[in-house]
Amino acid sequence: MALLEVKNLFFSYSDQPVLEEVNFKLGKGEIFCLFGPNGCGKSTLLECVLGTLKISRGYVYLNGRDVRNLRPAEAARQMAYVPQLHQKTFPYTVKEIVLMGRAAYTGMFTSPSEEDYAAVEEAMQKIGIQRLSEKPYTQLSGGELQLVMIARALAQKTPVMIMDEPTAHLDFRHELIILETVVQLVRETGLSILMATHFPNHAFFFDNNDIPTTVALMNSRRFAAVGRPEEVLSEQSMQRTFNVEARMVSYYREGKKEFRQIVAVRTNGLR
Amino acid sequence: MIFSLTIGRYPLPLSVIAKIMWFRLWGLVGQFPDTYEVVVWDIRFPRALLGVFVGASLAVSGTAFQGLFRNPLVSSGTLGVSAGAGFGASLAIVLFNNTALIYIFAFAFGVLSVVLSYLIGRFYSATPTITLVLGGIIVSSVFSALVSLVKYAADPYEQLPAIVFWLMGSLASARYSDLMVAGIPMAIGMAGLFAVRWQINVLSMGDREARSLGINTSVAKGLVLACATMATAGAVCVSGIIGWVGLVIPHIGRMLIGNDNKLLVPVSISLGACFLLLVDMLARTISGSEIPLSILTALLGGPFFVYLLKKTKGGGW
Repeated sequence: MALLEVKNLFFSYSDQPVLEEVNFKLGKGEIFCLFGPNGCGKSTLLECVLGTLKISRGYVYLNGRDVRNLRPAEAARQMAYVPQLHQKTFPYTVKEIVLMGRAAYTGMFTSPSEEDYAAVEEAMQKIGIQRLSEKPYTQLSGGELQLVMIARALAQKTPVMIMDEPTAHLDFRHELIILETVVQLVRETGLSILMATHFPNHAFFFDNNDIPTTVALMNSRRFAAVGRPEEVLSEQSMQRTFNVEARMVSYYREGKKEFRQIVAVRTNGLR
Repeated sequence: MIFSLTIGRYPLPLSVIAKIMWFRLWGLVGQFPDTYEVVVWDIRFPRALLGVFVGASLAVSGTAFQGLFRNPLVSSGTLGVSAGAGFGASLAIVLFNNTALIYIFAFAFGVLSVVLSYLIGRFYSATPTITLVLGGIIVSSVFSALVSLVKYAADPYEQLPAIVFWLMGSLASARYSDLMVAGIPMAIGMAGLFAVRWQINVLSMGDREARSLGINTSVAKGLVLACATMATAGAVCVSGIIGWVGLVIPHIGRMLIGNDNKLLVPVSISLGACFLLLVDMLARTISGSEIPLSILTALLGGPFFVYLLKKTKGGGW
């Protein structure tokens, strides 16, 4: 059975339709990438799945249960969320931030227990950020902050993690660090990930690392295509969706399997 | 706190205070001059207690509001509690000039203004936190205007000075009966905030993240809002408007022990209590007549805040 299933989902802001007829499934240890141009509804879809936006029609099932019937704490034990841009407020320490991932396991009138602190240590260790533990998180770089957000989501101990453009605004190296962290988590813990991304090569990166990866190409409110990265993210589809001339490149690393990436060459037509 | 009992127009040694308290607590009849007993037991002790309660309430609700609104610039009065209570009190001074009614009006209008701010905030559901603060600003300015109107209409010899002094804050009227009445909402409010203190951390991540972390945001926010309002309204209705405590004590706490509300809430409670106790002690001793509290809180708190800012380098902002 799929961990997460979205069935015939429709969503509109007042009377402006944003999402139409969205269907997909996410199984254990899989990555599902939402890919598409700005404003195509990726983040909206994530918010519908999270339950922060009320869908107009259709269903979102989490472990077989309709998310609308789940209390926030129940939902938060099933799926964790890594925001695209976290708005920093007070200079909490990194440890205090990661500890907030335990809110779903903490009663309304109680504070976190020893077990929660242990989960925090474990999450920070897995992501490799223990050295930042006592640092005010407002002083972190963009890449470090994103790792902290992933650690917080990991402390929630959920089977599903939802990431909204986790590498937005990151430098060359940190983008790769985040992707490698995701691959490592999926491999080691069997986590399932639903991710919105602007970069087709993220999907290829996961696929190249032997993670079962599905891509949905979103365009004007719906899924234009769903399937394996090399099928969906073709030169033709880049042309159709973005008006961009692109080339698929492939190479062999260490004489092993074929690695694929897609490279943008130039924009076509009117800008 | 005990120290504050010794100081005043009738300086008394600590030993006499201790004896008076001891005898009173056990219901014994002591052999002290009546004046001593009245001064310590009926005037200074309730006043000190009230100062502790009011200071703690204002500081802790300021802390809670700052966390809830994710904004370090808001204070316990942000949602219009102070302005509403000020209007209620002025109205009662002009209409009835009865102490009990002043309390009731101040409390009722304080709560009413938060309810109004909340309703205004609900009009626009996309970013409820920002509009809630905006609602508070609107309600505050409307009530401030109404206070001016009442002042304008008030009798300039009797009522106007009463209003002006009330608006500057004082604990001079403290009696046990006040403490009993206003202490209840303050105690409930503080206890509530203490119970949900860690959840305030999570709420300060913003609605969407707090929800995805597993907090029922509308319930938790409502609870924090209700508790902080009760504590503030309870404090304001007996003490008048005491500025500064609800804004700066939380920040002093943040500089001293960090931003984790699990620690910050109790620290704010004790810092607020100590600070107001100290300020009130000065208010009634440095000059022949009492100095309104708001003047002293700002004059004392300001330089101290700057000193801490320099010493802790702002603590990571």
